[in-house]
Amino acid sequence: MHNILEVRHLSAGFSARKSEVKAVDDVSLLVPEGKIVGIVGESGCGKSMTARAVMGLIRYPGRVISGSVLLDGRELVGMPEKEKRALRGSKMSMIFQEPMTSLNPVMKVGRQVEEAIRIHEKVSREEAAHRSVEILTSVGVPEAEKRCLCYPHQLSGGLRQRVMIAMAMILDPRLLIADEPTTALDVTVEAQILQLMRTLSSGGTGILLISHDLGVIAQVCDHVYVMYAGRIVESAETAELFDRPLHPYTRGLLNSVRSLRGGGDVLDTIPGVVPNLMRMPAGCGFSPRCLECREECVRDVPRLVDEGDGHLIRCFLYEGEAAE
Amino acid sequence: MPDNDPFRKKENVSGQAGDRLPEPDGFRSIVKRLAGENKLAVFSFAVILLFVLAAVLAPVLTPYTEKQMDLRHRLSPPSPEHLFGTDEGGRDILTRMLFGSRVSLLIGVVPSLVSMLLGAALGIVSGYAGGKTDTVIMRLADLMLAFPSMLLAMVIMYTLGGGLMNIFLTLSLVNWAGVARVVRSETLRIIKTEYVEAARITGVPGFRIMLRHILPNCVPTMLVLFTLNIPSSILTESSLSFLGLGIQPPDASWGLMVNTGRQFLYSAPWLSLIPSAAIMAIVLAFNFLGDGLADVLDPYRKNQ
Amino acid sequence: MLNHILRRLLQAVLVLALVALLIFLMLRVVPGNPIATMMGEHVDPAVIERMTSELGLDQPITVQFFRYILDAMKGDFGTSYSMGKPVDGLIRTAFPNTLILALCAALFAWVMGIICGTVSAVRKNSVLDRLFMGFSLLGVSVPVFMAAMMLQYVFAYHLHWLDISGVKNWKSFILPAVALGWNSAGSISRLVRSTLLEILQADYIDTARAKGRGQAGVLIFHAMRNAMLPVVTMMALQLSSLLSGAVITESIFAINGIGRLAVQAIEGRDIPLLQGTALFSTALVILGNLAADLLYGVLDPRIRKES
Repeated sequence: MHNILEVRHLSAGFSARKSEVKAVDDVSLLVPEGKIVGIVGESGCGKSMTARAVMGLIRYPGRVISGSVLLDGRELVGMPEKEKRALRGSKMSMIFQEPMTSLNPVMKVGRQVEEAIRIHEKVSREEAAHRSVEILTSVGVPEAEKRCLCYPHQLSGGLRQRVMIAMAMILDPRLLIADEPTTALDVTVEAQILQLMRTLSSGGTGILLISHDLGVIAQVCDHVYVMYAGRIVESAETAELFDRPLHPYTRGLLNSVRSLRGGGDVLDTIPGVVPNLMRMPAGCGFSPRCLECREECVRDVPRLVDEGDGHLIRCFLYEGEAAE
Repeated sequence: MPDNDPFRKKENVSGQAGDRLPEPDGFRSIVKRLAGENKLAVFSFAVILLFVLAAVLAPVLTPYTEKQMDLRHRLSPPSPEHLFGTDEGGRDILTRMLFGSRVSLLIGVVPSLVSMLLGAALGIVSGYAGGKTDTVIMRLADLMLAFPSMLLAMVIMYTLGGGLMNIFLTLSLVNWAGVARVVRSETLRIIKTEYVEAARITGVPGFRIMLRHILPNCVPTMLVLFTLNIPSSILTESSLSFLGLGIQPPDASWGLMVNTGRQFLYSAPWLSLIPSAAIMAIVLAFNFLGDGLADVLDPYRKNQ
Repeated sequence: MLNHILRRLLQAVLVLALVALLIFLMLRVVPGNPIATMMGEHVDPAVIERMTSELGLDQPITVQFFRYILDAMKGDFGTSYSMGKPVDGLIRTAFPNTLILALCAALFAWVMGIICGTVSAVRKNSVLDRLFMGFSLLGVSVPVFMAAMMLQYVFAYHLHWLDISGVKNWKSFILPAVALGWNSAGSISRLVRSTLLEILQADYIDTARAKGRGQAGVLIFHAMRNAMLPVVTMMALQLSSLLSGAVITESIFAINGIGRLAVQAIEGRDIPLLQGTALFSTALVILGNLAADLLYGVLDPRIRKES
């Protein structure tokens, strides 16, 4: 299958006063055509930074340190800003977590959707307006023509997120990055938006869905990457991951979700908190919280190894087995 | 402030993320942060201290007196005997500057303090009470803000005549409205927080809520406004005195000195240049300090 | 929207009426008979009495006030004691000069303020940023009279590029306008810089960049319009300080404007003239605030719908 997005050994972060702080460390991932690929992890694990690195939208003073990002085979890292700009919005686009603040408050909704067309194509305003109404209708905005004349504050959160999606999809991009697209919405709206994403992907668009919510991931993703402290710690087909979680962190995440849903007496949680970027442990990032932590876990970073059927795992518990 | 209020404590424990109110900063931590983040503000503070010291020690620092004329040495340029030269009456300019700094500093501080207290009280009451009280106070503030301050000051000074006390009164009247507006909007923000809501529901009297919950949270804003009102008061006084409506001769004020020196601008420029420079220096210093304080105290900027 | 405008208009009229009352009362608090004060002590009491009754000053204060208001609405502000001419005529001659001066100063302040503030925000911490912010802070800290005198000294007296004082042609307004506008330019550029820096962090800026807008496009189409909101409010407030500063600038550059008229009124202890100039200037400020308010409503759709 053709891969729309190919990220190889990407590292990104900040240059602090003396040392370099890596918020994203040696991340590799693939988004195939027509598939939804998820990145799951707690806040601060580097998933948003990964997304921004792909788009080339990392905020100063952050930057891509090394690695490569291929969109349809074209290298994005080091590409001149002007060429990258031509790709943003047309070949790849992104929607953000907060539909409340992600739309310009003083610009009519229609204009903002039209803008996405008019930046990249030489079309008349009427043509752009016509296409905006079309796409808004197709993402499920009722009475799209009327809504175009509204300002963002006059729309509900769900509608605003639909507008964001319309804006991102209007030029039929190859890749859509959705950074926590449903976190700010309530559950019924969340289901509708996820359904919409599935429809989009069946049209051939590759979607990179970023979420902290395993429930969301389970509902729509074909493949999942689990991120912890800037590194991918596990990666597998969705069904495989949920059936056979290998990494202690993934297991902990799944347990806490199951104990919530299953109504057990004790809420199963992972003890401790995500480590601060400035004080990252020398070995495995999860070692301070891991119940199965060993000597080498504190000392060295485990490699990402294949446990069979493309189920990748970064943990010393399995590294030994693979070597044997 | 003794923290014996149950609701305050509750707020600290639950740590509501919705209301990003300033942590109750200790004075020491404010100074520390100011020193760490903004060297210019610290330098400005030192400059201000220097001016204050000069004003307090004026009689000790100079062998001349403020009003002592010496007609043989009129308009003499700066020299070792008269560091800044002498004016048209042969008076030592440095001496007059030193005494003038007393006027300028007093005029900076006193009306700013009065207008801050008045503005804060009216602003909090206006925001808390709402309704008719709010309307009346805010229309009154609109009224004061609609006046070009210079013309208002001129009208008041015309009625009351020149002199220090009248300038105090005038500047206090001119400045309270701005403070009241800002404090009112702060109050409206604080009133929406859970702990004020809780205090209201449990029947804590309004006066106590204003004093215990709202006022302390307005203090950082008030402090910044106070620091920034000082230079604007100094500027207004110097402008009034420049027009001959402020301090009356033979008393010394920097603005007045610029005014009298103006007729010798081309023959003896130091006469008006030196007091102008002094006004600029002290105003600049207060502005830097105010900016630095705003950076450190503003809860929004701090959290970013 | 129409409702909103009408209500604002009504409020403005109310404030103006209160201002008139306030000025009127303040000037009546002056102890002693204003005619006697003006004419000095050695005038025949009969003359003073006759003039007092001629000017209606022996009437109760409420009668005086309503007569004053009624006359003012007809455009009659009384007769200047010191110049012996109708006040409205004096103001009418002086107003164009003040208007030109204030407009030039405002134009200077807005253009400089917005350009410098924007450049400073976009090139944060660059040499240009520091330079512009230095000039801005200087602008806010230099007394208007000092700026005026320095400009006069350097460009008129020393370099002979421009006239020292008086109004001959449009060039006569350059120095006064710069002296007067520098202060406002400083505050505006500081505000534009801080607002823009905040806005450039907003989520919708990311959205615009994700759409493929370049830096210039983001700035022009998204950041600037949002940044203009607080700036418009500040510009309205600046109007009041511009008129205040005009008093000084007009005196220094000998421009026959409203401010100079006010100073002359005080020197001549001329109540009708002082009253007229103060009322007129305040009316200008109120009008300016009203305009800014309405402009704000146009710029910010959130305000428009709420009211």
